[in-house]
Amino acid sequence: MTDFLELDVRPVLKAGGEPFAAIMEAIGKLAPGQGLRLLATFKPTPLFAVLGSKGYAHEEKEIGGGDWQVLFRPTGAAPTGASPLPAAAPADAAAWPAPIREMDNRDLDPPEPMVKILAATEAMQSGEVLAALLGREPIFLFPELAKRGHAWRGGFEPDGSTYRVLVRVGAGQGAPK
Amino acid sequence: MTGVSLSRWTMSYFAAALLSLLAAESLMAIGFGFPGVPTEAPATLVLVHLVALGWLSLLLCGALFQFVPVLVAQPLHDNDLPLPTLLCFAGGLVLLLCGFLHLDGTVPWDLPLLPAGGTLLALGFALVLYNLGRTLWVGRPLPLPARFVVAGLASVAVAATLGLTFTYVLGNVTSASPLIEVTAAGLPLHVVAGIGGWLTFTAMGVSYRLLAMFMLAPEEKRRSSLVALWGGIVVLLLAIVGGCVAIFLGRDPAPVLAIAALLAVPVLALYGFDVVHLYQRRKRRRLETNSLMAAPALASLGLAAALIVVLLALGALPRFAGAVVYLVGFGWLSGLGLAQLYKIVAFVTWLECYGPVLGKTQTPRVQDLVVEKRAKKWFYLYFGAVWLSTIALIADQPLAFRGLAVLLLVATLGLGVEFVRTRRLVDVAKATRLPAGARQPRLLHAFSPQH
Repeated sequence: MTDFLELDVRPVLKAGGEPFAAIMEAIGKLAPGQGLRLLATFKPTPLFAVLGSKGYAHEEKEIGGGDWQVLFRPTGAAPTGASPLPAAAPADAAAWPAPIREMDNRDLDPPEPMVKILAATEAMQSGEVLAALLGREPIFLFPELAKRGHAWRGGFEPDGSTYRVLVRVGAGQGAPK
Repeated sequence: MTGVSLSRWTMSYFAAALLSLLAAESLMAIGFGFPGVPTEAPATLVLVHLVALGWLSLLLCGALFQFVPVLVAQPLHDNDLPLPTLLCFAGGLVLLLCGFLHLDGTVPWDLPLLPAGGTLLALGFALVLYNLGRTLWVGRPLPLPARFVVAGLASVAVAATLGLTFTYVLGNVTSASPLIEVTAAGLPLHVVAGIGGWLTFTAMGVSYRLLAMFMLAPEEKRRSSLVALWGGIVVLLLAIVGGCVAIFLGRDPAPVLAIAALLAVPVLALYGFDVVHLYQRRKRRRLETNSLMAAPALASLGLAAALIVVLLALGALPRFAGAVVYLVGFGWLSGLGLAQLYKIVAFVTWLECYGPVLGKTQTPRVQDLVVEKRAKKWFYLYFGAVWLSTIALIADQPLAFRGLAVLLLVATLGLGVEFVRTRRLVDVAKATRLPAGARQPRLLHAFSPQH
């Protein structure tokens, strides 16, 4: 039976905060074999890959009111050294500067949102962050960002229909997945 | 959150599917199979399987390898497996068709053609179920369209198992009496699971997402969609499980199937209601050809549902079942398939060719890869021919049906040429066709890194 440390990031999220640093800190504090029980206001899909690369399996369930409980269980597998995902580099988790550009691409015809984001990143300096609002998860954008060595984070806003993605230019490992 | 890359072999599936459709239309034009001969004649079996397996199933599999990952935001479990899967399908289909022709002596070779074909096809479907099943499993909890796909995949497992049983019994591999009973009475269940469960239900699910995506309509969680999903599953279970029970009890499954057909009507009505809602709520006011041409396909489904009700009331469904199946197969499934192919080919070709250089240089838009005016003409011809053909079938005019099949063939050829032109970037202005860093896509497969 895995013992779980509980972390409730719902207050942070409701206050408009970014709980990523707190989550990574909690993961760092876990005893060997211990898991993390995370409570959030949305399904934290981005975390699955991040913590997967650190050797945690996830098991999520909706607990009502739009809230989610995710159990991260250590799999015993060694963490992958060089994370395959630029977005997954936890060391730089807290180090993202405020976005220098915000775009609202929600009403653009696909694939215009993707074209606009990639065009904007070409004009930005390494380390700068772009924020964009989208009508859906930009699943075809992520492989392009990875190929170009950009890092990203994203998730649905509490309204469930707006997807907010943050792209940090040229800050990733540059390893195309 | 790794995103979704291009499905490597989807274009090969589309090419094989289109060749099968052209072959089937050519056979109809020369009067091979139904309606010139009875529905259960070997020639009709060849025609039906060329359309249902060669065209529609390969089209759907190719599309699902690309779009199941989109539905669940997960990479396809195995991007290489679809090629051996396609080889199983192609080999299995050829053997199966030869096996049908062996039944009436057209093919003289005394080989176990049917069991071999059935086995290869079942293997192909098993590989599809494995690959998509693993992909869907990782993507839980599943969004609504993906749940339709799961029900569709379960149905194809039933349809393939029944089909495999038929080939083993007809090919004298087995003489177990329950299997012989299933073969004697199970044909309607095979048709319901294949055309109703696999092809129609899966297409409904995928269309929820595709229509919303391409028309910029909000994807709301609607009660009507949920009722359509569960109602549809109940109808399929009633027809398939109820039908099997009837057969094993030695009864005629027809009454159970008639009840299921009647219950299917409100399910289809709910789906139609949802789709009309999507069209109304769309933010993209000017409809693109794919969304515009999905409308006559959806109308064909509505028309088929209305025909089923009227014919059941008149007690004439068995007599006109061929016309209804034709309208479902060519008006709804093929019509929707061709309309979506038109967009999918352009979109994945654009993404493959220009994705790597987006933002770095001037690139064409997706719509620059197609010439909508030319394609629309072929779509009008296609749907006109399908609807007139349905009337010809109801009016029992096989000669008119053959003439219309020629028009159908011409329209499909026209669309096929458009797809190839799109894939080869022929309609893109030369100056912007291949900017530095962009690579001309291959006709039959996509370059994509692992995943």
